[in-house]
Amino acid sequence: MFEPKRLHPISAIINFVKTLKDAALPLIIVLVLNGNIFSGEVDWIPLLIWIGVLLLVLGSGIIRWLRFTYRMEEGELRIEYGLIFRKKRYIPIDRIQSLDFSEGIFHRPLNLVKVSVETAGSTGNEKAEAELTAIRREDASSLEEAIFQEKKRRYGRQDGEVSETEELQAEMEEPKRVKVYAMSMKEIVMMAVTSGGAGVVISGVAVFFSQFMDLLPVGTIYNEILDWIQIGVLVVAFTALVILLVAYGISIVMTILRYANFSVFIDGDDLIITRGWLEKKQMTIPLNRIQGVRMEENLIRQPLGYASVTLISAGGSVLKNDEHQLRLLPMIKEAKVGEILKKVLPDYDVVDDFHQPPKRSLLRYILRHSWFGFVAAIPISIFFFPYGLLSILAGFFLAVLGWLAYHDAGWNVLGDQLTLRSRGIIKQTYFMKKYRIQASYEKQTYFQRRTHLSSIEVMLTSGGGRALASCYYLEKKDTEEMMEWYRVKRSAEKPSEE
Amino acid sequence: MEQQPTQRISQRALTLWRIYGWIQVGIILLLTIGLTVTVFLWEWPWWIVLIGLGIALLEVLSMVWLVPTLRWKRWRYDVTETEIDLQYGLFIVTRTLVPMVRVQHVDTEQGPLLRKFRLSTISISTAATVHKIPALDEREAERLRQSISSLARVAEDDV
Repeated sequence: MFEPKRLHPISAIINFVKTLKDAALPLIIVLVLNGNIFSGEVDWIPLLIWIGVLLLVLGSGIIRWLRFTYRMEEGELRIEYGLIFRKKRYIPIDRIQSLDFSEGIFHRPLNLVKVSVETAGSTGNEKAEAELTAIRREDASSLEEAIFQEKKRRYGRQDGEVSETEELQAEMEEPKRVKVYAMSMKEIVMMAVTSGGAGVVISGVAVFFSQFMDLLPVGTIYNEILDWIQIGVLVVAFTALVILLVAYGISIVMTILRYANFSVFIDGDDLIITRGWLEKKQMTIPLNRIQGVRMEENLIRQPLGYASVTLISAGGSVLKNDEHQLRLLPMIKEAKVGEILKKVLPDYDVVDDFHQPPKRSLLRYILRHSWFGFVAAIPISIFFFPYGLLSILAGFFLAVLGWLAYHDAGWNVLGDQLTLRSRGIIKQTYFMKKYRIQASYEKQTYFQRRTHLSSIEVMLTSGGGRALASCYYLEKKDTEEMMEWYRVKRSAEKPSEE
Repeated sequence: MEQQPTQRISQRALTLWRIYGWIQVGIILLLTIGLTVTVFLWEWPWWIVLIGLGIALLEVLSMVWLVPTLRWKRWRYDVTETEIDLQYGLFIVTRTLVPMVRVQHVDTEQGPLLRKFRLSTISISTAATVHKIPALDEREAERLRQSISSLARVAEDDV
C-alpha cells in the first residue's frame, strides 16, 4: 500500500454537507429575512449571492477531496491535504493505538466507512489525530491489516528471535472477536424512556395539572371574561405540554436509533463497542488504557433497579465527544452488573459490602447538601413573600438528598482494588485499581479533627482530563487505612525488585 | 500514617509570605486613601473610611501574622524512593500521597521575589494532577527535582 490513495468521491459531498450544517443558521436567517419566497416577490441579488456561496462551498468540498491523499510509507501513515495551504501529516505506525470505524447515512448504501486514527498522544480534547472521511470497507480493513503487519514486523525485529515472532503471528492470526455483551431492545427502550428528558416531561405534566386544577374552582366563580383568560392559560399550558411530549418522543426515538444493536466485543487486547442503526459506530479501547470503572444510578433509574456503567480510559479521542461514547453498559439491571463485568473486565470485582460513614456524619451530610438551599430560600422568601416560602421545601428536598447521600456513601478495599461509593445527585460507584490511581488525598477540617472524621479523594486520569472519586466524612482510621493501603504495598514491592 | 511527614519548607518562606501580606495591606491602604479623598470631595459619610482601615487592620492580623505562621507550620513533605507525601492546608488539612511511578515530570519555578530570597517552587506532575511544594530553599528544590526525576525514571510506568 505505497501509492497515494484518495478517499471515496462521496467525501466531497460529506464535506459539503458538513460545512453547510455549520453555516445552516446564518443561511436560514438570511433566507427568512430576505423573505417573500412564498409570496413570489423574491429579491434576486441576495439569493444569487447565496447560490454563489453554496457553489463555492461545494467546490471547496470537491477540491479538498481532490487534494486529500493517504498512503503507507516507511512505517508511517502519510496524509497530505489542504485547500490552499498544503499540509502533510505523517503518523508513525508505532504511535497508532487504534482505528475506529463509523458509518453515517452516506456511508451505508455504498459500503463505506469513516476511519478515525487514534494515537497514544491524542489526549482528551483534541480531535482524532487523523480522519479519513470515507473509504471503502475493504480498503479500511487492508489499512488495518497493513498497520498490524507493520507493527508486528517491528516487534519481531526488536525481539530478534524468529521463532518467537512466528509464534506470535500464529497466535495473533486466530479470529478472536468474542461477543461479551449485547443490550436487549427492552433495555434500550427503558433507557430512552428514563433518560434526562423524562424529568422535564414529568415536571411539565405537573405544571399542566396544577394549572388545570386552578381552573376548576375559579372558572365557576368568575365571569366569562376571566374564564377566557383562564382558558387562554390552559391553551398555552396544553401547547407547552404537547411540545414537551413531542420533544420527549423525539429524544426517545433518537436514543433508540443511537443505541440499537449495542454490543461489546473483546478482540485480543482491545475492547470494541459497536452501536447504532442509521449511523453505525465502532469504538476500540485498548484494555490496558482503562483506568477504572464507574457505575451510576440516577434518581429515576435507581428505583427501577437500573444502573449504567462507564469506562474511565486514558487518551484516545473517542472520549472527547461525549460521555455516552464510553458507556460500557448503558442500561443494566444493577444486580447483573457484577456478572457481566466479570466477563468483560475480569480484574474488577463488583463488591457490595461497604464500610459506611459513622452515625455522627449524618448531620454533616445533610448540611452539606442542603445549606445552600436554605440560605437561598431566605432572599426568595423575602422578595416573593407568600409564595417564596415554598422555596424552603427545596431546602428540605436537598436535606433528604443529603440523608440519601449519607446512606449511600461507603468504601471497600479488596486486594488491589479500591471501591468508593458516593452521591451528589446521582449515586456513583468507582471501581479502581491501586496501580491506576494517580494520587490520593486525605482531607480533614478543623472541626472534623475534633470528631475524628476525615474524607478521602482519589484521582484517576481519563481522556477528558481527570476523574475524582471521593467519599466524605468517614472515620479517621478508615481513611488512614485506605491511605496506608495505597502506600504499604508500594514500599513492600520495592525490595523484591532489587 | 499517624505521624506527619518530616521535612519542612524553608523558614524564609515565612518572611516571603509576610511580604505578600504587606503588599495586600498596601493595596487596601491605597484604596482607603482614594476613598478618603472622595469622602472629602463629595461629603460621603466618614465611616466608610473606617471600614477601609478596619479591613486593612484585619489583613495585617490575618494575612501578615496568622495565615503565614499557620501555613508554614502545617506544610510538611517527604520524598522517599517510592512516594511523595505532602501535608498542607489551613482550615482543611490535606494529606496527599503520590507514588513515584505516577510522576511524569518535575518543574521548578522562581519569581523575582522568590529569587531574592533564594527560594524556589517545585511542581510535580502526574497524568492527572499537579502537586506543588512552595518556597523551598533553591538548592533543596534543585536536589529534589533531580532526585525525583531520576527516581521516576527508574520506576516503571504502566499508564
